[in-house]
Amino acid sequence: MNQFTVLVKKELIQLVREIKLVWFPLVFIFLGITQPVVSYYMPSILEMLGGGQGISIDPSMMAQSGGEVLASTLGSQFDQLGVMIIVISLMGIVQSDKASGMLAFILTRPVKVGSYLSGKVFSHYVFIAFSVAVGYIVSYIYTQFLFTGIPLEDLSIALLLYLLWVLFIVSFTTMISTIFNSQGVIALLSIAILLGCRVIVGLNPFLDTINPASMSTYGMELLVGGVLNSNVFWSILITLILSALAINISNTWISRKKYRID
Amino acid sequence: MKLHYGLDDLSEFDIVAFLPIILPIVAIGLILVLTALIDLYRHRERRENVLMWALIIIFANTIGSILYFVIGRKESGGR
Repeated sequence: MNQFTVLVKKELIQLVREIKLVWFPLVFIFLGITQPVVSYYMPSILEMLGGGQGISIDPSMMAQSGGEVLASTLGSQFDQLGVMIIVISLMGIVQSDKASGMLAFILTRPVKVGSYLSGKVFSHYVFIAFSVAVGYIVSYIYTQFLFTGIPLEDLSIALLLYLLWVLFIVSFTTMISTIFNSQGVIALLSIAILLGCRVIVGLNPFLDTINPASMSTYGMELLVGGVLNSNVFWSILITLILSALAINISNTWISRKKYRID
Repeated sequence: MKLHYGLDDLSEFDIVAFLPIILPIVAIGLILVLTALIDLYRHRERRENVLMWALIIIFANTIGSILYFVIGRKESGGR
Protein backbone atom coordinates (compact mmCIF):
# COMPACT_ATOMS: atom_id res chain seq x y z
CA MET A 1 0.00 0.00 0.00
CA ASN A 2 1.32 3.42 -0.78
CA GLN A 3 1.15 6.49 1.42
CA PHE A 4 -1.85 7.94 -0.31
CA THR A 5 -4.18 5.01 0.39
CA VAL A 6 -2.96 4.78 3.98
CA LEU A 7 -3.72 8.44 4.56
CA VAL A 8 -7.12 8.15 2.88
CA LYS A 9 -7.89 5.20 5.12
CA LYS A 10 -6.87 7.22 8.19
CA GLU A 11 -9.25 10.00 7.19
CA LEU A 12 -12.07 7.51 6.69
CA ILE A 13 -11.49 6.06 10.15
CA GLN A 14 -11.64 9.57 11.52
CA LEU A 15 -14.92 10.19 9.70
CA VAL A 16 -16.41 7.07 11.28
CA ARG A 17 -15.10 8.02 14.71
CA GLU A 18 -16.62 11.50 14.54
CA ILE A 19 -19.93 9.93 13.35
CA LYS A 20 -19.70 12.40 10.52
CA LEU A 21 -20.54 9.45 8.30
CA VAL A 22 -24.03 9.49 9.81
CA TRP A 23 -24.94 13.11 10.32
CA PHE A 24 -23.43 14.78 7.28
CA PRO A 25 -25.55 13.00 4.62
CA LEU A 26 -28.59 13.36 6.89
CA VAL A 27 -28.15 17.12 7.04
CA PHE A 28 -28.00 17.36 3.26
CA ILE A 29 -31.02 15.10 2.87
CA PHE A 30 -32.82 17.38 5.29
CA LEU A 31 -31.82 20.48 3.33
CA GLY A 32 -32.84 18.76 0.10
CA ILE A 33 -36.28 17.73 1.34
CA THR A 34 -37.14 21.08 2.88
CA GLN A 35 -37.18 23.12 -0.31
CA PRO A 36 -39.68 21.09 -2.40
CA VAL A 37 -42.00 20.55 0.55
CA VAL A 38 -41.98 24.22 1.56
CA SER A 39 -42.57 25.38 -2.01
CA TYR A 40 -45.35 22.85 -2.37
CA TYR A 41 -47.16 24.01 0.75
CA MET A 42 -46.31 27.71 0.33
CA PRO A 43 -49.79 28.67 -0.96
CA SER A 44 -51.57 27.01 1.96
CA ILE A 45 -49.04 28.39 4.46
CA LEU A 46 -49.62 31.89 3.12
CA GLU A 47 -53.35 31.37 3.18
CA MET A 48 -53.31 30.30 6.81
CA LEU A 49 -50.96 32.96 8.13
CA GLY A 50 -51.18 35.82 5.71
CA GLY A 51 -54.71 36.98 6.35
CA GLY A 52 -57.13 37.97 3.67
CA GLN A 53 -56.52 41.71 3.34
CA GLY A 54 -56.10 42.27 -0.35
CA ILE A 55 -53.57 39.55 -0.88
CA SER A 56 -54.19 37.36 -3.83
CA ILE A 57 -51.97 34.44 -4.74
CA ASP A 58 -50.98 34.39 -8.35
CA PRO A 59 -52.00 30.97 -9.66
CA SER A 60 -49.11 30.93 -12.13
CA MET A 61 -46.69 31.16 -9.19
CA MET A 62 -48.19 28.05 -7.69
CA ALA A 63 -47.46 25.93 -10.72
CA GLN A 64 -43.69 25.79 -10.52
CA SER A 65 -41.91 23.35 -12.74
CA GLY A 66 -39.75 20.66 -11.21
CA GLY A 67 -36.58 22.23 -12.59
CA GLU A 68 -37.25 25.54 -10.87
CA VAL A 69 -37.81 23.85 -7.52
CA LEU A 70 -34.65 21.78 -7.81
CA ALA A 71 -32.70 24.86 -8.89
CA SER A 72 -33.90 26.70 -5.82
CA THR A 73 -32.78 23.74 -3.71
CA LEU A 74 -29.29 24.27 -5.08
CA GLY A 75 -29.46 28.05 -4.92
CA SER A 76 -31.09 28.74 -1.61
CA GLN A 77 -30.44 25.68 0.53
CA PHE A 78 -27.14 24.13 -0.55
CA ASP A 79 -25.50 27.42 -1.45
CA GLN A 80 -26.23 29.05 1.88
CA LEU A 81 -26.67 26.67 4.79
CA GLY A 82 -24.95 23.89 2.87
CA VAL A 83 -21.81 25.92 2.19
CA MET A 84 -21.68 27.07 5.81
CA ILE A 85 -22.00 23.52 7.09
CA ILE A 86 -19.32 22.25 4.70
CA VAL A 87 -16.93 25.03 5.73
CA ILE A 88 -17.56 24.67 9.46
CA SER A 89 -17.10 20.91 9.33
CA LEU A 90 -13.88 21.34 7.35
CA MET A 91 -12.34 24.19 9.30
CA GLY A 92 -10.17 21.86 11.35
CA ILE A 93 -9.02 19.76 8.40
CA VAL A 94 -5.37 20.82 8.72
CA GLN A 95 -5.69 23.16 11.69
CA SER A 96 -6.52 20.42 14.22
CA ASP A 97 -3.49 18.44 13.04
CA LYS A 98 -1.35 21.52 13.52
CA ALA A 99 -2.77 22.16 16.98
CA SER A 100 -2.38 18.59 18.23
CA GLY A 101 1.15 18.24 16.83
CA MET A 102 0.01 15.49 14.48
CA LEU A 103 1.25 17.36 11.44
CA ALA A 104 4.75 17.78 12.85
CA PHE A 105 4.72 14.11 13.77
CA ILE A 106 3.62 12.94 10.32
CA LEU A 107 6.27 15.07 8.67
CA THR A 108 9.04 13.43 10.69
CA ARG A 109 8.12 10.24 8.82
CA PRO A 110 9.06 9.80 5.18
CA VAL A 111 5.68 11.12 4.04
CA LYS A 112 5.43 13.63 1.24
CA VAL A 113 3.46 16.76 2.04
CA GLY A 114 1.73 16.30 -1.29
CA SER A 115 0.36 12.88 -0.44
CA TYR A 116 -0.70 14.06 3.02
CA LEU A 117 -2.67 16.96 1.55
CA SER A 118 -4.07 15.09 -1.42
CA GLY A 119 -5.19 12.24 0.84
CA LYS A 120 -7.03 14.73 3.03
CA VAL A 121 -8.64 16.68 0.20
CA PHE A 122 -9.50 13.55 -1.77
CA SER A 123 -11.18 11.67 1.09
CA HIS A 124 -13.11 14.69 2.34
CA TYR A 125 -14.13 15.71 -1.15
CA VAL A 126 -15.40 12.25 -2.06
CA PHE A 127 -17.36 12.08 1.17
CA ILE A 128 -18.88 15.56 0.83
CA ALA A 129 -19.67 14.99 -2.85
CA PHE A 130 -21.44 11.79 -1.87
CA SER A 131 -23.49 13.60 0.78
CA VAL A 132 -24.41 16.44 -1.57
CA ALA A 133 -25.38 13.95 -4.27
CA VAL A 134 -27.57 12.01 -1.85
CA GLY A 135 -29.30 15.21 -0.74
CA TYR A 136 -29.76 16.27 -4.35
CA ILE A 137 -31.24 12.91 -5.37
CA VAL A 138 -33.66 12.89 -2.44
CA SER A 139 -34.66 16.43 -3.36
CA TYR A 140 -35.21 15.25 -6.93
CA ILE A 141 -37.40 12.35 -5.80
CA TYR A 142 -39.55 14.76 -3.81
CA THR A 143 -39.67 17.25 -6.66
CA GLN A 144 -40.80 14.57 -9.06
CA PHE A 145 -43.43 13.43 -6.61
CA LEU A 146 -44.83 16.89 -5.84
CA PHE A 147 -44.10 18.77 -9.08
CA THR A 148 -42.91 17.62 -12.49
CA GLY A 149 -40.02 15.44 -13.62
CA ILE A 150 -36.72 16.65 -15.01
CA PRO A 151 -34.75 15.24 -17.96
CA LEU A 152 -32.11 12.89 -16.66
CA GLU A 153 -29.17 14.43 -18.52
CA ASP A 154 -29.97 17.95 -17.27
CA LEU A 155 -30.21 16.52 -13.78
CA SER A 156 -26.84 14.77 -13.88
CA ILE A 157 -24.96 17.58 -15.66
CA ALA A 158 -26.27 20.12 -13.14
CA LEU A 159 -25.12 17.86 -10.31
CA LEU A 160 -21.65 17.49 -11.85
CA LEU A 161 -21.34 21.26 -12.27
CA TYR A 162 -22.37 21.74 -8.68
CA LEU A 163 -19.82 19.18 -7.49
CA LEU A 164 -17.08 21.22 -9.20
CA TRP A 165 -18.06 24.19 -7.06
CA VAL A 166 -17.94 21.88 -4.03
CA LEU A 167 -14.41 20.86 -5.09
CA PHE A 168 -13.39 24.51 -5.00
CA ILE A 169 -15.02 24.94 -1.56
CA VAL A 170 -13.08 21.99 -0.17
CA SER A 171 -9.69 22.98 -1.55
CA PHE A 172 -10.16 26.63 -0.63
CA THR A 173 -11.09 25.79 2.96
CA THR A 174 -8.07 23.48 3.16
CA MET A 175 -5.84 26.35 2.07
CA ILE A 176 -7.31 28.76 4.62
CA SER A 177 -7.08 26.07 7.29
CA THR A 178 -3.38 25.61 6.51
CA ILE A 179 -2.55 29.27 6.63
CA PHE A 180 -4.44 30.40 9.72
CA ASN A 181 -4.34 28.98 13.22
CA SER A 182 -7.60 29.99 14.86
CA GLN A 183 -10.75 28.06 14.00
CA GLY A 184 -12.94 31.13 14.25
CA VAL A 185 -10.82 33.08 11.79
CA ILE A 186 -10.79 30.12 9.40
CA ALA A 187 -14.55 29.69 9.48
CA LEU A 188 -15.25 33.41 9.19
CA LEU A 189 -12.83 34.03 6.32
CA SER A 190 -13.87 31.00 4.29
CA ILE A 191 -17.59 31.60 4.74
CA ALA A 192 -17.25 35.32 3.97
CA ILE A 193 -15.15 34.78 0.84
CA LEU A 194 -17.14 31.81 -0.50
CA LEU A 195 -20.53 33.43 0.09
CA GLY A 196 -19.07 36.64 -1.35
CA CYS A 197 -18.14 34.71 -4.49
CA ARG A 198 -21.68 33.38 -4.62
CA VAL A 199 -23.20 36.85 -4.24
CA ILE A 200 -21.19 38.56 -6.98
CA VAL A 201 -22.22 36.00 -9.60
CA GLY A 202 -24.06 37.77 -12.40
CA LEU A 203 -22.53 41.21 -11.96
CA ASN A 204 -20.14 41.01 -14.86
CA PRO A 205 -19.70 38.38 -17.60
CA PHE A 206 -15.92 38.38 -17.21
CA LEU A 207 -16.11 37.93 -13.43
CA ASP A 208 -18.56 35.09 -13.97
CA THR A 209 -16.05 33.26 -16.10
CA ILE A 210 -13.35 33.30 -13.45
CA ASN A 211 -15.69 32.87 -10.50
CA PRO A 212 -15.99 29.24 -9.29
CA ALA A 213 -19.38 30.02 -7.75
CA SER A 214 -20.83 30.53 -11.23
CA MET A 215 -20.70 26.74 -11.65
CA SER A 216 -23.73 26.46 -9.39
CA THR A 217 -25.54 29.17 -11.38
CA TYR A 218 -24.83 27.34 -14.62
CA GLY A 219 -26.33 24.24 -13.03
CA MET A 220 -29.40 26.23 -11.98
CA GLU A 221 -29.78 27.77 -15.43
CA LEU A 222 -29.61 24.31 -16.94
CA LEU A 223 -32.31 23.05 -14.60
CA VAL A 224 -34.61 26.01 -15.17
CA GLY A 225 -34.16 26.70 -18.86
CA GLY A 226 -32.54 23.59 -20.24
CA VAL A 227 -29.70 25.51 -21.90
CA LEU A 228 -26.07 25.41 -20.93
CA ASN A 229 -24.17 28.70 -20.82
CA SER A 230 -21.73 29.04 -23.72
CA ASN A 231 -18.61 29.84 -21.70
CA VAL A 232 -19.11 26.99 -19.27
CA PHE A 233 -15.97 25.21 -20.49
CA TRP A 234 -13.72 28.12 -19.60
CA SER A 235 -15.34 28.26 -16.20
CA ILE A 236 -14.78 24.55 -15.63
CA LEU A 237 -11.14 24.95 -16.62
CA ILE A 238 -10.61 27.97 -14.38
CA THR A 239 -12.36 26.33 -11.44
CA LEU A 240 -10.10 23.29 -11.74
CA ILE A 241 -7.02 25.52 -12.02
CA LEU A 242 -8.06 27.58 -8.98
CA SER A 243 -8.65 24.43 -6.91
CA ALA A 244 -5.26 23.04 -7.90
CA LEU A 245 -3.70 26.39 -7.07
CA ALA A 246 -5.28 26.42 -3.61
CA ILE A 247 -3.95 22.93 -2.86
CA ASN A 248 -0.56 23.93 -4.24
CA ILE A 249 -0.38 26.99 -1.99
CA SER A 250 -1.05 24.90 1.11
CA ASN A 251 1.52 22.39 -0.13
CA THR A 252 4.28 24.99 -0.34
CA TRP A 253 3.10 26.56 2.91
CA ILE A 254 3.60 23.31 4.79
CA SER A 255 6.82 22.32 3.02
CA ARG A 256 8.44 25.63 3.87
CA LYS A 257 7.41 25.11 7.50
CA LYS A 258 5.62 28.41 7.60
CA TYR A 259 2.99 27.04 9.92
CA ARG A 260 3.48 27.73 13.56
CA ILE A 261 1.92 26.09 16.56
CA ASP A 262 1.11 28.45 19.36
CA MET B 1 -58.58 35.79 9.40
CA LYS B 2 -58.07 33.15 12.00
CA LEU B 3 -54.79 33.22 13.87
CA HIS B 4 -55.61 31.35 17.04
CA TYR B 5 -56.01 27.63 16.99
CA GLY B 6 -57.07 25.55 19.92
CA LEU B 7 -56.65 21.87 20.65
CA ASP B 8 -60.18 21.25 19.35
CA ASP B 9 -59.14 22.38 15.88
CA LEU B 10 -56.57 19.61 15.68
CA SER B 11 -59.20 17.12 14.65
CA GLU B 12 -60.16 19.32 11.71
CA PHE B 13 -56.66 19.09 10.22
CA ASP B 14 -56.40 16.52 7.52
CA ILE B 15 -53.25 14.94 8.88
CA VAL B 16 -53.45 11.76 6.83
CA ALA B 17 -53.22 13.77 3.62
CA PHE B 18 -49.81 15.23 4.28
CA LEU B 19 -48.42 12.60 6.61
CA PRO B 20 -46.45 10.70 3.94
CA ILE B 21 -44.79 13.96 2.88
CA ILE B 22 -44.00 15.27 6.34
CA LEU B 23 -42.97 11.97 7.90
CA PRO B 24 -39.47 11.65 6.35
CA ILE B 25 -38.59 15.18 7.50
CA VAL B 26 -39.68 14.37 11.04
CA ALA B 27 -37.83 11.06 10.93
CA ILE B 28 -34.56 12.62 9.75
CA GLY B 29 -34.78 15.38 12.34
CA LEU B 30 -35.44 12.76 15.00
CA ILE B 31 -32.49 10.61 13.93
CA LEU B 32 -30.19 13.64 14.06
CA VAL B 33 -31.37 14.62 17.53
CA LEU B 34 -31.13 11.03 18.81
CA THR B 35 -27.60 10.51 17.43
CA ALA B 36 -26.47 13.75 19.03
CA LEU B 37 -28.02 12.86 22.39
CA ILE B 38 -26.62 9.33 22.39
CA ASP B 39 -23.16 10.62 21.53
CA LEU B 40 -23.40 13.27 24.23
CA TYR B 41 -24.46 10.66 26.78
CA ARG B 42 -21.68 8.24 25.88
CA HIS B 43 -19.03 10.91 26.23
CA ARG B 44 -20.65 12.80 29.08
CA GLU B 45 -17.56 12.65 31.26
CA ARG B 46 -15.26 14.24 28.73
CA ARG B 47 -17.53 16.97 27.42
CA GLU B 48 -17.87 20.43 28.82
CA ASN B 49 -21.31 21.92 29.48
CA VAL B 50 -23.22 18.67 29.05
CA LEU B 51 -26.48 20.15 30.27
CA MET B 52 -26.21 23.18 28.00
CA TRP B 53 -25.60 21.00 24.95
CA ALA B 54 -28.48 18.70 25.88
CA LEU B 55 -30.83 21.67 26.04
CA ILE B 56 -29.49 23.09 22.76
CA ILE B 57 -29.91 19.73 21.00
CA ILE B 58 -33.45 19.22 22.25
CA PHE B 59 -34.82 22.70 21.81
CA ALA B 60 -33.02 24.05 18.73
CA ASN B 61 -33.79 20.99 16.72
CA THR B 62 -31.70 20.04 13.67
CA ILE B 63 -29.64 23.27 13.88
CA GLY B 64 -28.83 22.43 17.50
CA SER B 65 -27.66 18.92 16.74
CA ILE B 66 -25.61 20.14 13.77
CA LEU B 67 -23.96 22.70 16.05
CA TYR B 68 -23.24 20.00 18.59
CA PHE B 69 -21.63 17.71 16.03
CA VAL B 70 -19.52 20.50 14.60
CA ILE B 71 -18.51 22.54 17.64
CA GLY B 72 -19.48 20.57 20.71
CA ARG B 73 -17.44 17.50 19.88
CA LYS B 74 -14.28 19.48 19.38
CA GLU B 75 -14.52 21.28 22.69
CA SER B 76 -13.60 18.13 24.59
CA GLY B 77 -10.07 18.87 25.65
CA GLY B 78 -7.42 16.18 25.34
CA ARG B 79 -8.05 12.96 23.55
